[in-house]
Amino acid sequence: MRKGKRLLSMLIGGALLTASLSACSGNNGKNSAGGAPSASESGESSYVITMAYPGNDPQDLQLVQDEMNKILKGKIGATVKLLPISFGAWQQQLNLMLSSNEKLDIMTVQSAEYATKVAKGQLVALDDLLASNGQDILKAVNSSYLDATRIDGKIYAVPSIRDFAAGPGILMRKDLVDKYHIDVNSIKTYEDLTAVFQTIKDNEPNITPLVPLNGGSTTLTFTDLMNTSDFDTLDDSIGILPGLDNQLKVTNLFEDPMYEERLNLVRQWYLNGFISKDAATMTDSAVTLMGAGKAFAYLCRIKPGIESQESASTGQQLVAVSFDQPVTQTSNITIIMQGIASNSKNPEKAMQFLNLLYSDSDLLNLLDYGIEGKHYVTNSDNLIDYPEGVTSATNGYTNTGILFGNQLISRVFKGNDPDIWNQLQQFNQNAKQSKALGFTFNVDPVKTESAAVQNVMNQFKGGLETGTLDPENTLPKFIDKLKAAGLDKIIAEKQKQLDAWSQNHQ
Amino acid sequence: MNREHRIWQWITHIIMVLASIGCLFPFVLLIVSSFTSEHEIIREGYSFWPKSFSLEAYSYLGGKLNEITRAYGVTALITIIGTIVGVAITAMLAYPLSRQDMPYRNLVAFLIFFTLLFNGGLVPTYLIYTQAFEIKNTIWALVVPGLLTNGFNVMLVRSYFASSVPTPVIESASIDGAGEIRTFFSIVIPLSTPILATIGLFQLVLYWNDWFNGMIYITDSKLYSLQNMLNRILTDIQFLASGSLGSNVRTGPMPSETVRMAIAVIGVVPLLIAYPFFQRFFVKGLIVGAVKG
Repeated sequence: MRKGKRLLSMLIGGALLTASLSACSGNNGKNSAGGAPSASESGESSYVITMAYPGNDPQDLQLVQDEMNKILKGKIGATVKLLPISFGAWQQQLNLMLSSNEKLDIMTVQSAEYATKVAKGQLVALDDLLASNGQDILKAVNSSYLDATRIDGKIYAVPSIRDFAAGPGILMRKDLVDKYHIDVNSIKTYEDLTAVFQTIKDNEPNITPLVPLNGGSTTLTFTDLMNTSDFDTLDDSIGILPGLDNQLKVTNLFEDPMYEERLNLVRQWYLNGFISKDAATMTDSAVTLMGAGKAFAYLCRIKPGIESQESASTGQQLVAVSFDQPVTQTSNITIIMQGIASNSKNPEKAMQFLNLLYSDSDLLNLLDYGIEGKHYVTNSDNLIDYPEGVTSATNGYTNTGILFGNQLISRVFKGNDPDIWNQLQQFNQNAKQSKALGFTFNVDPVKTESAAVQNVMNQFKGGLETGTLDPENTLPKFIDKLKAAGLDKIIAEKQKQLDAWSQNHQ
Repeated sequence: MNREHRIWQWITHIIMVLASIGCLFPFVLLIVSSFTSEHEIIREGYSFWPKSFSLEAYSYLGGKLNEITRAYGVTALITIIGTIVGVAITAMLAYPLSRQDMPYRNLVAFLIFFTLLFNGGLVPTYLIYTQAFEIKNTIWALVVPGLLTNGFNVMLVRSYFASSVPTPVIESASIDGAGEIRTFFSIVIPLSTPILATIGLFQLVLYWNDWFNGMIYITDSKLYSLQNMLNRILTDIQFLASGSLGSNVRTGPMPSETVRMAIAVIGVVPLLIAYPFFQRFFVKGLIVGAVKG
């Protein structure tokens, strides 16, 4: 008993000590941090560019960063600090960093909050910086794409060079396509798929003919993917441009006859048992289901190299069929961009670094793939691969290359066509461009309505667009609720902004 | 009457047994599915009696031993520090408040009570912690915020002190020459082990299960705690499924369903071990109370 008492008092004594120590270290941290940055900021040669992007924090980040800094010191006299933030925490942590004025120079910007970030003044206007320090970006990024990032005439972020267009398509298991002699060239319309799915359902009872791309998610549903080439979503599908033109008159997607037609087709597929009964609520993605051998096909958006990319992700050999020509709308370009934060103490250096990502392939390869010989090796046909005995799960450095700079100057990974970057350029050039390309909708004036409409969409879209709910009864109800939530007000606001945009644009 | 009593016993027992099964089943399912093969879960769904037994998930975690051990270490460290310091601060704050002779005790008590109802909101809190205290990406980010939000515990301990540690005992200690510190450690604390064990358990569970602080203040993967790791896996999958980077971005393999289950299992086991240890104190507290009553 006495021993216990002594132990307890010792514990509490220790705790007090720890608490006081923690208070001390807190103070120390504050003092040293108060002094440190100003020292590094004053000497321009040692300016540290902090770059935040969504990604996992890999084991060898420091090694890669050191290698990058060797290049950067020689070329621009600055160093970079990579700050990957895990995907799930990305938006929250980035917003906290921005609102608390934390040190940040370059950040990844996505279309969904691009206009909001500009309206809040969190991004620097880049036009002058591009002219003075970003020559290579201006050379690499086609001006029509760069113009798509303009808000009120100014560029606030530059897109990474990647697929700037998308077309609707479907990916199917090659072994089953061959087994049942399905002629992929004869598939031209979505209706043609019905017969294909019927074949699979009749012969492979354990395989679901069609699975959603992202489970029961209300984005990228069956109809969203089918609609890819037919409508400009104008950022959020609330108010769209049919045929990517429509004389710039914004209409309601959910009242479009084509939308209803496609809903009915999906409903028919569902009733025929081509889509699993729990499609509206399941959480497994198509990649997972395909990998487990449970799925035959999923709808997707086509870009060059999609077959090899998805085959590698799923572990199944897949064959792609395209339904329509690829199109380019604003969100294809603005969905991934890099911008310079208003907090940046040295936007010139940040721009010089961004510029290098569009021209210096060594630097970009380091950022995308890590150190050659350690994180990747070059094989015979000049493609790169993981070193012996290393997989994507065990590699010391991984990154999402599509986020950064000019992909066309980066290495090509094994499994892809060595010529893929040329194909990508061709693909982008041949895409049909929306008449509203370059228009970015600022949702702030109708924020309340937008949230309400989003809620209604979350409630109905999943059920309707997987075929679980009967469109005949549910679609009118859905439209009524959308209107009650303020859909028309959003469309009117969008029309107003689009008119203003088109006037300045001509 | 005897018969009535027996029926009553039967009914209550059956209800309790059903309730316990209701609590245990999800947990059993969690453990079973962590031992099921990934393909079976996707093809057949979850099941209490899987057709195949598989150690796939655990061998995957074995391959990530470094990260898992590290996360375990972080969780254990913050839990131990957080619980001990948390209980100490709570007890030392609650004791003076329980004394009738402390000046301004109502004012202090009100301030503590106030934090129960209102807080500064996320952004101001974040500002204070990252800029005034500079705890972003340090281990303190996982410890300090949890220490300062336990106003409820302070009220609980204060009431216990006020009601279960009789003033005459404290006065007698003072007559025998004990100072305030001595009285607190030698008289008040030993008399209050049940309540200290209770809030100790609260704190323990709070720290062990905390992922929020990690999500807000930590970007460095070396400082991920176990729950933080699990939470990140789940939210990463959600983020990528939302398609906000476009439909075609693939970011390498995500841990599978069974791996998530396995992480949850290894995360919960230590708490199960810790609970019986604390239970001793509760039972003892009840007995002491009964004798005195």
